[in-house]
Amino acid sequence: MTGDSHKIFEGKTIVVSGASSGIGRAIAVHLARQGAGLVLIGRNRERLEDTAQEAGARVCRIVQLDLTDVTAIIPAVKETVAVLGRLYGLCHAAGTVDTLPLSATGPEKLQAVMQVNYVAGMELARSVTRRDLLREEGGSILFISSIYSLIGKPGQIAYSGSKGAVTAGARAMATELARRNIRVNVLSPGMVRTEMTERALAGLSGQQVQALRDMHPLGFGSPDDVAHAAGFLLSPESKWITGANLVADGGCSAQ
Amino acid sequence: MTQSEAVAWIAQIFEMAPDQLTPDTHRDNVPAWDSLGILTLMANLDSDFGIVLTDEDIQAVKTVGDILDVMRRYGTFTSTSS
Repeated sequence: MTGDSHKIFEGKTIVVSGASSGIGRAIAVHLARQGAGLVLIGRNRERLEDTAQEAGARVCRIVQLDLTDVTAIIPAVKETVAVLGRLYGLCHAAGTVDTLPLSATGPEKLQAVMQVNYVAGMELARSVTRRDLLREEGGSILFISSIYSLIGKPGQIAYSGSKGAVTAGARAMATELARRNIRVNVLSPGMVRTEMTERALAGLSGQQVQALRDMHPLGFGSPDDVAHAAGFLLSPESKWITGANLVADGGCSAQ
Repeated sequence: MTQSEAVAWIAQIFEMAPDQLTPDTHRDNVPAWDSLGILTLMANLDSDFGIVLTDEDIQAVKTVGDILDVMRRYGTFTSTSS
């Protein structure tokens, strides 16, 4: 690691989706502290402004966007580049989870989860990597997936499927974009305590929560734990890494 | 659609500014016009104009003007100038 690594993102602007809370907010703050300019995407403007304030980035643009409306993504990214200049990268941290048994996981439930977790992520990547919007020297794309793309748990059929799609899609994207020096990686966290996962945990019994905790030898993670790994994969320090899926799960999948 | 609108449409497909392309622009000078770029062009011609390129069309297309000829031939536009 270089001595000035704390400013490794100086002059680089990164789009972060899901930046209004949880993992997305922690990543945005972490990147800003290392010098990154930010484009914060989320549904709730006030919460995005809170993230912007916490991040304190010198370059920061808030884009209020509902990712279920994928047609709005490319125009929003184009408008952003017109103001801030070309982009360096993307972190798609926006995600939704709907813990339901198979019997209640109808097509509409599946599509709603796929729309945000997978379709919007791919559309964001399609926008950010446009030749007229990304820096000519290349860049870095990161998708926040989940260990549920690798392991199965009851009630997570839609979520696991969507995260598996993200992981597989990113791998193919990495092979396609390598010739433009655009790296594409995936980060798969285990259980991280965020508002979203608290809601998911609320639907489980105490015994089930304890069983989940027991699955993680290092305990549940924090958003900052994920943000540090995300910073590495987005930064030039990982310039020889593409198509990878980094698991950050407190040892969960090592067992 | 006028010819200049068609050029703008092509520029958008190849993620360039419209003023970077003329009918004489060769595919070698369009970074995104590679094998995957051809697929992008084919997909968009089909979705936007209902044009399904034949193998002969694909082989013949070497310049922006060639794409304009294809679009003209399939009736996307009739004018020869902007």
